[in-house]
Amino acid sequence: MPPDAVALPAAAAPRAGWALPRDAGWWALLLPAFLLMSVIYVAPILQVLAISVTEPTTGLGNYERLFTSIGVQRVIGTTLRICAVTTVIALLLGYALAYVVALASPRAQRWWLLGVLLPLWISVLVRAFAWVTLLRRQGLVNQGLQGLGLIDEPLALVWNEFGIVVGMVHYMVPYAVLPMLAAMREIDPRLLAAARGLGASRLMAFARVFLPLSAPGLVAAGVLVFIFSLGFYITPAILGGGKTLMAAEWIKLQILDLVRWGMGAMLATVVVVAILTTLAVFSRVVNLRRLFGGGH
Amino acid sequence: MNGGYPAGPLARSIAWATVLYLLLPITIVIPVSVTDQRYLSLPEHGISFRHYANLLGSESWLASIQQSFWIALGSTLIAVTAGTLCAIGCWRIGRRSTELVRALMLLPLIIPAIVYAIGLYRWFGTLDLLDRFLGVTLAHGVTGIPYVVITVSTALAAFDPRLEQAARGMGASLGQTLRWVILPRIAPGIASGAIFAFIHSWDELVLVLFIASRNVFTLPRKIWDGINENLDPSMAAVAVLLIVFTVALLALDGALRARRQ
Amino acid sequence: MSAPVAHALELRGLSKRYGSFIAVDAVSLRVDRGQFLTLLGPSGSGKTTILMAIAGFVAPSEGAVLLDGADITGLSPERRDFGMVFQGYALFPHMTVAENVAFPLRVRGLSRADRDARVRGALDLVQLAAFAGRRPSQLSGGQQQRVALARALVFDPALLLLDEPLSALDKKLRAELQDELKALHRRVGRTFVNVTHDQEEALSLSDQVAILNHGRLVQMGAPEALYERPRTRFVADFLGKSNFLQGTVREVGATGMALQAGATRLVQAGAAHPAPGRPALLSLRPEKIGLLAGAETAENEVAGTIASWAYLGAGYSLSVRTADLGEIRVALPAWRAPIAPREGLPVRLGWAADAAVPVLEDADAA
Repeated sequence: MPPDAVALPAAAAPRAGWALPRDAGWWALLLPAFLLMSVIYVAPILQVLAISVTEPTTGLGNYERLFTSIGVQRVIGTTLRICAVTTVIALLLGYALAYVVALASPRAQRWWLLGVLLPLWISVLVRAFAWVTLLRRQGLVNQGLQGLGLIDEPLALVWNEFGIVVGMVHYMVPYAVLPMLAAMREIDPRLLAAARGLGASRLMAFARVFLPLSAPGLVAAGVLVFIFSLGFYITPAILGGGKTLMAAEWIKLQILDLVRWGMGAMLATVVVVAILTTLAVFSRVVNLRRLFGGGH
Repeated sequence: MNGGYPAGPLARSIAWATVLYLLLPITIVIPVSVTDQRYLSLPEHGISFRHYANLLGSESWLASIQQSFWIALGSTLIAVTAGTLCAIGCWRIGRRSTELVRALMLLPLIIPAIVYAIGLYRWFGTLDLLDRFLGVTLAHGVTGIPYVVITVSTALAAFDPRLEQAARGMGASLGQTLRWVILPRIAPGIASGAIFAFIHSWDELVLVLFIASRNVFTLPRKIWDGINENLDPSMAAVAVLLIVFTVALLALDGALRARRQ
Repeated sequence: MSAPVAHALELRGLSKRYGSFIAVDAVSLRVDRGQFLTLLGPSGSGKTTILMAIAGFVAPSEGAVLLDGADITGLSPERRDFGMVFQGYALFPHMTVAENVAFPLRVRGLSRADRDARVRGALDLVQLAAFAGRRPSQLSGGQQQRVALARALVFDPALLLLDEPLSALDKKLRAELQDELKALHRRVGRTFVNVTHDQEEALSLSDQVAILNHGRLVQMGAPEALYERPRTRFVADFLGKSNFLQGTVREVGATGMALQAGATRLVQAGAAHPAPGRPALLSLRPEKIGLLAGAETAENEVAGTIASWAYLGAGYSLSVRTADLGEIRVALPAWRAPIAPREGLPVRLGWAADAAVPVLEDADAA
């Protein structure tokens, strides 16, 4: 060091007496997010849970309706049916897509991924609107089919369960692809080549080697798509046209139109509990942080 | 994986069909938006931009766009500040307890918007935040936090923790370490998070259906009313503009990622 | 107490436990101002944990760290006055060399002019002035190491901590930088604490070496003292190579003892010995053994045959099989080899009474 250098001030003067815990500063960084999340997010949701057992009267009266009200049961049935169908179709399409992407060259992978991620980020409203344009009675699909002379009367393609499933699968396929692709990327493609080299057919190699190795990704994708579908609002509302009611729209109806807070809060609670239970059951297979790209 | 083992023809055809199913229906709004008709249809005699002109000449549409933009900007600011600090804190402390904090931050991705929306409707009623710019901005900001936490955590996973030790060891305070060492290194991750948080707010509808009515009328809300009331080609024009905007933001994100590598 | 404290750094009963695992076990040591101390040990010996506790990155479970007599155990790293060269250097990749070196000065709020002058001085010191504008990724490993040194020294800290500073470099460069590091230490005259698992580096660089094993301080001293007078089998084995001769004490005299190993009788000089009838362990360095030619004699003589041998350029390494003492390794300078070695050749080994050192078994030393 330059011998004539002046004495440097210490970075921070040692302070005697009390000292904060070593990590206090780092914990303080969590504070803004934690406070915001508690006051603006968790508190209102806890209030929903509370309303479900306090309005109109204290008790489990609202939950009793799960067993007594045909209307409530029908909504739950419709929701579960549509969610199950959506999940199965989204998984089938997504699996084939993820399989092809995983085996593609890195360059081709980028293009495939673009095709999967682009729709993911385009407004769900825009997508639902596009489907309405295509599928309604005077829509482009019916016009086209009529123009070709294939049908005489326009088909009912939207404002029913069919329309909802078409729109929901469209929304969910990217969410199905991502976790499956993550799992498939871990599989060494040489294993498939080795299986073929050992005499397995293409189908055997797939069924005995690739499918079992990609199963965790398949389960994770299924869980993700199912829980996203359970509380989905916009697409079912637009493509269902108010005729087919799923849970989210029914909740909205109870609260905004009928002002039956207790019932709306009850079904909302049921949906949340169903989602958290599904996650808990599959928590071993579904690494949430990895699912959402949280890294390592 | 690499291209050593090609996928079979069945898988390839399903994959192609799926991608077309994902992309084509969205592109239908482009020809519809330039139709010369007054109703939703493909152009018949030629293309016309009058629906774009209608849109951009409409004060109510422009007002909604403006409002959405400011709300998205404000909520992005909230999400980025809170999310980045939280991700850094969790990363540095790295105990099991921070796993819980991180799980808490991911809740808005898991719990359906409708549940949060009805809760917020009541909650903001008591706080007098209904139908106010601040209320919507706060709600969008909080629900944007997970996107930032995820992208910043990913960026931090690639950050050498010894750099932070080195900075502290040389006498840097926590603030100086953040400003001069950590933040510059994870800036691309923060930018990605900001872009996603912005898109989230810009597209968000369910919350505004409940906590906003007349004073705050965002673009998605206006589109929602348009779809439910008058399906006319100007809706297609809005849709095209939204798609262009989203694609531009994603391209920006892609460019930032490319620069990082 | 008003007596000035001469120790730059002192550890008092330092311990660190992670759950039931004891990483550092009651280590106490003192370093005088301006000394070069090396913490040497195999991986998992606790040496890095001790360094991190000195730096403040690890909070000790028990014990204290004193700098110039002041207890700094509770201070956070940024309030302790030390420079540190990290393993892998931890240079900020988004800053230039000059910005890296200026970092500790910027943190201390120095003016731009002061900063520039000091950075120039520090870069001159490590002969990197010409690279001030480069990014760390544009430098070689050795250059990066010198930037890390400049950055650690630029703010004139009382203490410089080095965490395996040479481990990332190849062998030739390592030897070069060892010399440079030693010269640098003399020039700046600060207290250096170095961590390494490389015994050669420890011997050549240090004024003092502290040998650690399983979290314990086994022995500390000047390199020559440690090499010549290891206290335990572990120290003798870890520092250089050693033969271990096991025997039973027969007689004890004023200037030495006699040992019996099978039919072989050994004489060993020195004052402190186990009582007669007790087992004893001697450490005998390979280079202290000679091959006896013809009528040559030595205080200790053992006959054997060459089991294997290797030519090492400067000399031979022989492994000689003996009846009572097992295989004995001998390092023979080429110019002193009376014969050309070959397998199965009968030889006589000889060494002086003061060539070997009695050492403790590690379990007994604990």
